[in-house]
Amino acid sequence: MNHIPKLKLLILILSLMLIQFAYAGTDQCLNCHQDLGDNPSQQFLEDVHYKAGLSCQNCHGGNEKTDDMEMAMSKSAGFIGVPTLNKISELCAKCHSDSEYMKKYNFKINTGQFENIKESVHGKLAINGRGMIVQCITCHNAHGIKKVNDPRSPVYPTNVPQTCNKCHGNASYMQTYNPSLTVDQLTKYRTSVHGKLNSRGNIKVAECASCHGSHNIFASNDVRSKVYKLNIPSTCSQCHSNKDYMKDFHIPTDQFSKYQMSVHGKAVFEKHDLSAPVCNDCHGNHGATPPGIESISKVCGSCHALNAELFSASPHKKAFDENNYPECETCHGNHEILIAKDQLLGVSKGAICLKCHSENKNQKGYLIAKEMKKLTDSLIVSDSVAKNLIFQAEQKGMDVEEMKFKLREVHQARLEGRTIVHSFDEAKFKEVTTKGFNASEQTITEAKAAINEFYFRRYGLVVAVAVISFLIVILFLYIKKIEKNKTN
Amino acid sequence: MDKTESNMAEKKNRRGFLKYLLSGGLAGFAAITIYPILSFLNPPKQTEVEVTSVVVGKADDMKPGDSKIIRFGNKPVIIIRMDDNNFRALSATCTHLDCTVQYKKDEKIIWCACHNGKYDLFGRNVSGPPPRPLEQYSVVIKKDDLIVSKEA
Amino acid sequence: MKNKFKKLYEWIDSRVQLEDLVKFMSKKYVPVHSRSIWYYFGGVSLFFFIIQVVTGILLLFYYKGSSDLAYESIHFIMSKVQFGWLIRSIHAWSANLFILSVFIHMFSVFFEKSYRKPREITWITGVFMFFLALAFGFSGYLLPWNELAYFATKVGTDIVGAVPFIGEPLKYFLRGGDDVTGATLSRFFGFHVALFPGIFTFLLIVHLLLVQRQGMSEPLEFKDSEKEEKKTMPFFPNFMLRDLLLWLVVLNILAILAVFFPAELGLKANPLSSAPAGIQPEWYFLFMFQTLKFLPAHVFFIEGEQLGVLLFGLAGLLWLLVPVWDRKSARGQKNRLINYIGIFCVLFIIILTIIGWVLK
Repeated sequence: MNHIPKLKLLILILSLMLIQFAYAGTDQCLNCHQDLGDNPSQQFLEDVHYKAGLSCQNCHGGNEKTDDMEMAMSKSAGFIGVPTLNKISELCAKCHSDSEYMKKYNFKINTGQFENIKESVHGKLAINGRGMIVQCITCHNAHGIKKVNDPRSPVYPTNVPQTCNKCHGNASYMQTYNPSLTVDQLTKYRTSVHGKLNSRGNIKVAECASCHGSHNIFASNDVRSKVYKLNIPSTCSQCHSNKDYMKDFHIPTDQFSKYQMSVHGKAVFEKHDLSAPVCNDCHGNHGATPPGIESISKVCGSCHALNAELFSASPHKKAFDENNYPECETCHGNHEILIAKDQLLGVSKGAICLKCHSENKNQKGYLIAKEMKKLTDSLIVSDSVAKNLIFQAEQKGMDVEEMKFKLREVHQARLEGRTIVHSFDEAKFKEVTTKGFNASEQTITEAKAAINEFYFRRYGLVVAVAVISFLIVILFLYIKKIEKNKTN
Repeated sequence: MDKTESNMAEKKNRRGFLKYLLSGGLAGFAAITIYPILSFLNPPKQTEVEVTSVVVGKADDMKPGDSKIIRFGNKPVIIIRMDDNNFRALSATCTHLDCTVQYKKDEKIIWCACHNGKYDLFGRNVSGPPPRPLEQYSVVIKKDDLIVSKEA
Repeated sequence: MKNKFKKLYEWIDSRVQLEDLVKFMSKKYVPVHSRSIWYYFGGVSLFFFIIQVVTGILLLFYYKGSSDLAYESIHFIMSKVQFGWLIRSIHAWSANLFILSVFIHMFSVFFEKSYRKPREITWITGVFMFFLALAFGFSGYLLPWNELAYFATKVGTDIVGAVPFIGEPLKYFLRGGDDVTGATLSRFFGFHVALFPGIFTFLLIVHLLLVQRQGMSEPLEFKDSEKEEKKTMPFFPNFMLRDLLLWLVVLNILAILAVFFPAELGLKANPLSSAPAGIQPEWYFLFMFQTLKFLPAHVFFIEGEQLGVLLFGLAGLLWLLVPVWDRKSARGQKNRLINYIGIFCVLFIIILTIIGWVLK
């Protein structure tokens, strides 16, 4: 019965010793501040750095082994207090930009973040003129830093929109940097497929950083930006062309390859034409949604205004809407829009009109299509006849400037024809082609006249040379005669 | 006796024939020389063709708000009579893909029907795909004639 | 027809007494010998000149001599005016053939030493007309105001500026300013259609009057022959008709050239653009141009270009004054030196022209 109190004492002493040891190895900063009950120390307990064995001292400096406040927080021990402005990010970068050091913790971790931020639009001077607009802690927090793949991290995919919106949704804040930037991106985003799925916890869909980048964010008119006009197709296709990645979403992944072949894609990739549409021009960017069936012609019509107007006033609009045909797309495609060749029109092989019209079904349209194709073909023939005659006249050295000018009208008529076709009105179409025929006929007449003039000159020369030569011969004979007479 | 006489007669005939041919030849020569010269002096239908400046008709033929497209050398130029009665002349070739532009009276803009490009009345590209403004031409009125010329 | 001519003749004769003149003219004869054919080149040159005057006047009806209209007016002539292409092409070809013919005429006279007494003035007026022919060519070349013409004029007047002392002021005078501009075009037009034709006509009248008064020059060997051995033919009508025949042949050639090789126009002159590569003057200046190119930049204390200009000036002066320093021919003696000089000049001109052409 005397052993039990002895055992309790032993346990007490051992515990005290243990506590003593534990106490001796603890982060004294953390201890003290926890006792004070301040938030940073509370948060730090969940911090990935704490879990990796780092202490307050690793960022704030000072001596974490002593519990004497003055010694612990002394300048001589390296204490820097609360770092401000760029000092913050420089502190983070001290380790995070050192790839040798970071390898100990994570082989694959990126170490270029600080350099990226400095170059990016966020690395520009803030309005206080003393530091960058953002520091690392702006997005990652200061003391409760979680790993990016931790759902509690503010930079976890489902949290990113909220994090960015802290500044980018604040109108008065954004006003101080760029008054013309909108602040409704989050609202729009939430209406999009990406936004909806993201709010439901899907981490595969695009959020702010997927398209804009995380550290190396540039303004959209900066050619280095992932959302610079000419870069947008490849940014979107990062996910949308990846079959495996898109497996769960059950939508096609061929849009980018189709777009590359299209006339818009060629304009962007080969001609670097900034006026050609890329993904966001038709789908929107933050509120990205494919256009609805009735609104397709409005979307295409933002550039192809006349075609859309004509189409909307034509009998096809009602027919297409009733049958749920996506307006422009039905004949032209959506991503793979190729140059609308003349074969598209008419009633022969390859013509799109045949899809609905035939001699027995919807005959009126069939006949109109046939007639329009016939006129188009004649105009093309007339055009090439005129071009050929002009070329011949030019080769012969005749002046063809005016004729070439007139030929423009034929080209213009063909162009206008391809537009007016969208009214599907035979009379209007004829008006346009008649103008073209008039011009081409006039040109043909003039070119023929020029060629005739060329031959006239040649034949005229023959006549003139003949007359002169005749005179020469006669004169020669006359001279001979005179001289013979004189000698006689 | 007869032989020399007939010889002489023959010679005379031949001489006469030769002289006849000579006059014929001279007449033909005169014709092929005078005809081109007279045709040359005959004023051609188009009395003046200048490509650095083109006379495009009477100023009075255009009312405020009217526009027309004329040929300048081998390029199209659009002339607009503004509401304040001044004339403006600009290249009518769209700087996007070379379609011919037109004047839209109601919107007071120059419009390209191909891809909805819009220019203001100074030729500056204000909306749509055109990357550059339209080239300027100058309009001068001399005795009621409209003369368009290229600014140097 | 013959009666009408007779009546006309009598009407004039009763007023100005043509009898003496006709008698004198009917005696005019042309020596016939192995080198007679060269006698025709004077007439051929005259024919070309007449063609130039006629076509030139016709062109004046449509040509506009200001820098913004010149090019366009030529384009108008070539494309809109009926036979405009023909008149302009004949004018262009005839200009070249005129100068060629004048070269041949001048050299044949030189070799024949027809410049000797009493024909010194004929020779001097002739040489001045030769210089004027070149000036006609140079001034006329600018009138279309095309690229080639603009730069050729620039280079040509630059060379004029190389003449010592008077060069720069002369260049300024010719150009109507520091650079080749519309002002240059204006004065070249004035030179080409007024000043030069005026002076040339005066020289031509003196030249022709002298030829008519003095008759054709006989070759030196005629002096030693008997009158009966000298073969001659009357000027009227034999030589004249033959001359006319040659004129018709030349006209034929001109027509053929005009149709098959019409005059080109090229691009309008743009002072802001750079000179086209291989710019060179017309062929008749090529030999001088090429010589200047060959001369080194400096010869002792003189600039190469200046030396070239001075040498050609001196050569021209000596050429002009050959009746003065060729004493032997004046005495009626053979002068082999003249032949050698002549051959050297001909070869020099031909070879350097070819080199200049090939090295384009």
